[in-house]
Amino acid sequence: MDTKVSVSPKSLIDQIVVPGDVVLDLSNMTNQTIKLGSGLRQDGDAISAVRAGKLSYSKPNTYWVESSHKRYIPRLEDHVLGIVVDYKAENFWVDIKGAQLALLPGLAFEGVTRRNMPKFEVGTLLYARVVKTNTGMNPELSCTDASGKAALFGPLRDGFMFETSTGLSRMLNSQTCPVLEALGKKLCFEIAIGINGRVWVNATAPRSVIIVANAIMNSESLSGTQQRIMVEKLLAKISD
Amino acid sequence: MEIDREDGRTPNQLRPLACSRNILHRPHGSASWSQGDTKVLAAVYGPKAGTKKNENPEKACFEVIWKPKSGQIGKAEKEYEMILKKTIQSICVLTVNPNTTTSVIIQVVHDDGSLLPCAINAACAALVDAGIPMKHLAVAICCCLADNGYVVLDPNKLEEKKMRLSLI
Repeated sequence: MDTKVSVSPKSLIDQIVVPGDVVLDLSNMTNQTIKLGSGLRQDGDAISAVRAGKLSYSKPNTYWVESSHKRYIPRLEDHVLGIVVDYKAENFWVDIKGAQLALLPGLAFEGVTRRNMPKFEVGTLLYARVVKTNTGMNPELSCTDASGKAALFGPLRDGFMFETSTGLSRMLNSQTCPVLEALGKKLCFEIAIGINGRVWVNATAPRSVIIVANAIMNSESLSGTQQRIMVEKLLAKISD
Repeated sequence: MEIDREDGRTPNQLRPLACSRNILHRPHGSASWSQGDTKVLAAVYGPKAGTKKNENPEKACFEVIWKPKSGQIGKAEKEYEMILKKTIQSICVLTVNPNTTTSVIIQVVHDDGSLLPCAINAACAALVDAGIPMKHLAVAICCCLADNGYVVLDPNKLEEKKMRLSLI
């Protein structure tokens, strides 16, 4: 494959790239340091995309490919929603939609010693943090924050969990998410968003849970204003 | 120098292409690809933990399952599976997800010639949809050598039968 891409790399930013597209040519930018995020690969002097998506750039020197999938690639310090699938000795095996099951040590909870280790049934939904992602090993989770406090992590009881794409959960997790803002003005609910594409919603009234879940699932591929209009329509329907 | 084709195409004219992605709910990536009346559905599951027997656990492993339109799979379909697997292995980055298996399932919806190239294109689109790391994309096209020595692109079933040889 000795195809030469004639477009200048700068013009590819915020454009859709597909696997094999040469994003950057290192031969004419020798005195720069760049950081590569997910979806990019170095092959000799060329940086090429390995996933399809939007090429994003953040100052000063970070490049990555923004894409949305049904599978999750574990990354350090991500907050995820996992489901317990097995427990062996002192560890829980948790499904986080990745290639491999994640390991949650029974001692990775606040104030837990060997004597009072928590017991979770298979199928329990957990809100946890990714603490280890080494290639060739199962990722490791923890239900404490960096200082060892429980900080909202732990099992999620009641409520309703549904699956989304990773792109949608990233959108929900951003600072200003129009759909959640619009819903929050009218309804009272609890929400936990796992960046791995799982969302858990709980409210006192079951119908709020259904509305919130439907609004979120509808909001994929809608722009900010469209999301607000969609939520308003949904809320107007139920207030009649 | 013109040769006549059943459907009035020029020798190197392709049938109309159509592709849509993410059409199935359960798989992690899916695509449908049609070239004229030939249509193939491809679904990708995975990567899942663990490799099959006789595979290198230090690399990602791929399995291809070919589902014909009707009946059992025979020798020809087994060959298609093998070619497809080789193709996928050559375009994917195998070292990113070591010790995992990715299943690619090909469902033939209708066969009207150029089936294998259509399946390769569908599988490639489904892999992109699933977000499997790939070095580059794969494109396949079928060409036939006619009796009078002309090369014909993207033949349909009738033309495939008449031709002396077909290359993919």
